[in-house]
Amino acid sequence: MTLPVVEMHQVGKRFTKYEDAPMLVTAALRFRQRTRRSSLWAVRHVDLELGRGECLGLIGRNGSGKSTLLSMLAGVTAPTEGTLAVRGRVAPLISVGVGFHPELTGRENVYVNGIILGMTRREIDASLDEIVGFAELSEFIDTPVKFYSSGMFVRLGFAVAVQARPDVLLVDEVLSVGDLSFQLKCFDRMMAIKAAGTTIVVVSHNLNAVRIMCERTGVINAGVLAFMGDTTEAISVYHDLLGEARDLEGGHTQDGLRREEGVTRFEDVELLGPDGMPTRHLKGGDSATVRATLRFDQVVSEPNLGVGVVTESGAPAYSDSDRTVLAGPVAAGSEVTLTMSFRAALVTGSYTLALGLWEGDVAQVGASAPMPFFVSSRPAADGVADLEGRFGIER
Amino acid sequence: MDSPPLGQGFVLEGELTPLPQLWSELWQSRELMAILARKDFYVRYRRASLGLLWAVGLPLFQALVLAVVFSRVVRVHTGSNFAVFVLTGMVGWTYFSNTLSVASTSIVEGSGLSTRIYFPRAVLPLVSVIANLYGYVITLVITLVLCPFLGVGLGLHTLWLVPATALAVAVTAGTCLVTSALHVYFRDVRYIVTAAVIGWFYLTPVFYPLSLVHGVLRAVVMANPLTGVVELMRAATAGADSDWATTVVASVIWMLFLLGIGASLHRRFNRVFTDLL
Repeated sequence: MTLPVVEMHQVGKRFTKYEDAPMLVTAALRFRQRTRRSSLWAVRHVDLELGRGECLGLIGRNGSGKSTLLSMLAGVTAPTEGTLAVRGRVAPLISVGVGFHPELTGRENVYVNGIILGMTRREIDASLDEIVGFAELSEFIDTPVKFYSSGMFVRLGFAVAVQARPDVLLVDEVLSVGDLSFQLKCFDRMMAIKAAGTTIVVVSHNLNAVRIMCERTGVINAGVLAFMGDTTEAISVYHDLLGEARDLEGGHTQDGLRREEGVTRFEDVELLGPDGMPTRHLKGGDSATVRATLRFDQVVSEPNLGVGVVTESGAPAYSDSDRTVLAGPVAAGSEVTLTMSFRAALVTGSYTLALGLWEGDVAQVGASAPMPFFVSSRPAADGVADLEGRFGIER
Repeated sequence: MDSPPLGQGFVLEGELTPLPQLWSELWQSRELMAILARKDFYVRYRRASLGLLWAVGLPLFQALVLAVVFSRVVRVHTGSNFAVFVLTGMVGWTYFSNTLSVASTSIVEGSGLSTRIYFPRAVLPLVSVIANLYGYVITLVITLVLCPFLGVGLGLHTLWLVPATALAVAVTAGTCLVTSALHVYFRDVRYIVTAAVIGWFYLTPVFYPLSLVHGVLRAVVMANPLTGVVELMRAATAGADSDWATTVVASVIWMLFLLGIGASLHRRFNRVFTDLL
């Protein structure tokens, strides 16, 4: 049996933060230096094993510890506790040509960068043509890179990193750079080196990219692996966490309206998939249901029930309302369980759904916490709504 | 678990980098150091074709000024050719001070690279140590070319330049390993270094012979790690002080001490420097 390429055992990383910058002058002058410091576990108790040719996604909110985990995998920083073993050459997909020197030409930078990534001079000699070809820079390879556009920069950086034939490729949110055709080319190349046995770790907020590339995904929350397993499930867990986080931020609806406390309260809001089980991950076109319990602390004479769905960027995707379900005045102290079923005719992406209750058309008297969910749809469809277009030729 | 060669993976357990491993990683990084040093030198002088002239011209000019001031105005008696005397001193001193000021901040300045990829962090100060050798060698060659014209004969004794250069590099490397590591934590080290270099120059027998200082001051100057370097370079050219062997021993002791401290700092913090960047 071959050993795993990446092995982490109970890995933790603690950072120390210094309140005031330590100075040698003051440290030497005082008998004992007092620097106010605080420490923080950025990552803790992480166990992880990755085999050859595996692709792991890491998702989590900002500041959850993803980057720290990636730094440790790159060997850039050592864990405070636990053991980490990486067997083979690691190439971090360096974002936008880090280590490129503006005064040096493309060719010279390829040599510098290649050697930084652990290639030998001979290996670089042998693969220079391929690197230049992949980066589509043959005309400009002897131009100082300070004259390069940012796209050219990234192309060259990526070309060197994949040419280093790493055993482990670390990808940190770089899929979003370059034009679309180059992104597709990068994607194809990554799939090719993965097929050739390279282990890939992808950290991204682009859940769709993670979904397409990675079989397994870890969800990091507050420094611990909250979930590790099937990517579809991981995306669902991640949206659960997003939901909890919004609940904690509390008090505000997604459109910025202040929730009026003490009139109505939405509780136990759940999204149910086609099988009737709670989920945060729908397939495009799935029938789904939102279920919530609504408590009335005061009388609402003209209850108007509304729903709103917004895209990740906050653009409205759908809104609707209904006055018939809760017809007439509702007495204080009542409790109703509401459902709204809908068809998720949406393209791939993250969405947020919220329910609201209005008094007539005027005053909002209650809103549920926004509930994030993810839809995976046909890869070609883009925009907001999936109109399920069918192309044809009339003969 | 044994750690595989650099670039072929790693095992991390705790923050220390054992010395044999640190040494082998550095040895495996020699190609990286060479290309980074060449890049450093090249970048500095590529666009400004006069840049190289400045790198060589400045220490020569400074030596000229010192030679004129101290031979015509103050009238220092060195017992040998004063121009060559000052020139050799300046070559060694300039190499040390230029390298020290760049290398001290090198780990901090190199964060763009080091926060993304691992290589032994000692590579960064050592790159400055190597890159400045280009300028050192050029000024040294010019000095040697000037020697016969200034009435200083070259011969077998000129070979003292080989150990002199080795000692200069080792003392500089040791000092830079210590200051570069300290600067990551104590960010005022760069200012301390700047201030120290100003005073240090006067405690190094660059423009005065060791025979002119007496008492406590003589002890201080003789204990200066650079005095041995400068005296060894004089032995190769204009002639050294009668006590030069003692100063070389002092320099060697300093060198071992500084390399030891530098190595232990890098052993401890090599893998966690980036946490503070």
